[in-house]
Amino acid sequence: MLKEIAKRRVVITGAGLVTPLGRNCGETFDKAAQGCSGIDYITAFDTAGLPCRIGGQVDDSWLEGHEGAWQRFPSRGLRLLRTAAREAVGSAGLAEIQRRERIGCAIGFHGDNPSVPDLLLLHRHFDGNALDMHRIAAEGTYPATNFLARKPDVAVSLMATSLDCGGPALSVTSACAAGSQAIGEAFRMIRNGSADVMVAGGGDSQLNFVGFIGFVLIKALSSKYREPQKASRPFDRKRNGFVMSEGAGIVVLEDHDHARARGARIMGEVLGYGASADAYRITDTHPKGLGACIAIRAALDDADLAPDDIQYINAHGTSTTQNDLTETLAVKEVFGTSAKQIPLSSNKSMIGHTIGGAGAIEAILTLVGMERSIMLPTINQEFRDPKCDLDYVPNEARLQAHERALSNSFGFGGQNACLCLGRYHG
Amino acid sequence: MKQTLITEQKVFEELKKAIIETLRSDEAAIKTESSLIKDLGAESLDFLDINYRLEQTFGIKMARHFILEHIEEMFGEGSAIDENGQLTEKAITLLKLRYGDVYGDLSEGVDMDAVPTLITAGSMTQGVLDLLDTLPDKCTQCGNADWKTEDGIRIKCGSCSAFATFTNGDDLSKDWLTAVQQEKKIF
Repeated sequence: MLKEIAKRRVVITGAGLVTPLGRNCGETFDKAAQGCSGIDYITAFDTAGLPCRIGGQVDDSWLEGHEGAWQRFPSRGLRLLRTAAREAVGSAGLAEIQRRERIGCAIGFHGDNPSVPDLLLLHRHFDGNALDMHRIAAEGTYPATNFLARKPDVAVSLMATSLDCGGPALSVTSACAAGSQAIGEAFRMIRNGSADVMVAGGGDSQLNFVGFIGFVLIKALSSKYREPQKASRPFDRKRNGFVMSEGAGIVVLEDHDHARARGARIMGEVLGYGASADAYRITDTHPKGLGACIAIRAALDDADLAPDDIQYINAHGTSTTQNDLTETLAVKEVFGTSAKQIPLSSNKSMIGHTIGGAGAIEAILTLVGMERSIMLPTINQEFRDPKCDLDYVPNEARLQAHERALSNSFGFGGQNACLCLGRYHG
Repeated sequence: MKQTLITEQKVFEELKKAIIETLRSDEAAIKTESSLIKDLGAESLDFLDINYRLEQTFGIKMARHFILEHIEEMFGEGSAIDENGQLTEKAITLLKLRYGDVYGDLSEGVDMDAVPTLITAGSMTQGVLDLLDTLPDKCTQCGNADWKTEDGIRIKCGSCSAFATFTNGDDLSKDWLTAVQQEKKIF
């Protein structure tokens, strides 16, 4: 019995995206295949005086509003998630599934940051030593829902409530690996029989003053760019930090037999998942990419595949000096002499870094790429870095069939996740 | 102007405090020649933390960018770091002119990734002293030349009690590079 459960195949029956490149999967993929950049000067808040003034914003008119269960939480990150979820559950036909307690949710999200008006309000009631809580309570100026909107776990609650999913609910907060990890853990829940269907993915918006400023202070963002569209340049010698973006990606994962029984359209398969921690430092990746190697190898083992079975890698590729170098080293370590033959590209060169959304967005683009036999490019490849010497699919998309791929996500603080994905064959 | 109110010894002591608070290092382990990365185990975030503490202590603004970045910006791509990620001969000449023996180990072809490991407690102390030496001749508030210090850390105007202001670290690097270029025509 256990062995039978372990063999359950997990397929993808729905996907939804909202990114700086497009309002849905098709639009995002098409723009990415043309090598377009979604990066521009930030208009969401005043960036005057900051060394980085660019980001990947999603057009506000593309986002869902705040109806129903979501009404009290007018948070940008939650709106992104809701928009991507609508496309995903629509394409999967989730509503037609009867046993709602067999549908779970796993969402990578980090909660909203306190806004500048929040801070100003609190500051008005601060006497130098403490907050005057009597006055705040008397005036009733601090909305209680603010507290809830800041909580990372609110996303999965809202998702489960609005979609009527009574299965396991999981919040993932592993920074840049959260979207991948949510999909990976959801994949395991189906494989081990805890659920038949999982709504999984992630999203974030850090394009607000408080969210952004932290990344400015730790000097993680690109601050040297001639034009915004050229700033995100993973693996290029002139890379100098990542570009902050907002976006979300949601997939519907489903037990293969369950999907076949209801005649769902199957767009791909999750073959394996690996996770690890660098256990090294908070802001530096392991210099040899040890944690990344562990996650990649674990994903391959889980999928029962050898390195040579992989035909494409969707890189984490952030455009920071450290990540792109250690990711290159890790791929060389795992794939040995074949590393240079495996095309590897970074969607972040076009989309920027959506933090909790990144892993899910990139997994979806990897799946669509396999379906269409297109490998998306890494744009802004102008100055070769001798230490980054793999095939990064430079500047132009490549028409090339591929059946099995990896999608890497390496989070801040050394949290790593790797998904092994496959084109679906009955 | 070259200031004499704050001694090198005092700067080193304050730097040691900042290092101990940030890295929890043993005081005895911190020598002027200690590499923060190699000997004291600092990671990138720690430099931001130590710099912040020094800024609060001395009322200065440390450089946010290393001098190699300024060279690239002012004299063009490839002027400090070649396409192999190695330091150019001109960059090494400038580093040695700027920091003297602190970077004595440097030779052409050193990988740029190795440069941060060359930062020592001694080179950081010198960096702070260089900033303190940008003390203006006269107080920018009242115009009097009456600098003094009560604690050996913060310089104040003896007439109006305003704290002294110093050139910020990035501007100092750029000013220095401009002056050296004019004099020696390195590029």
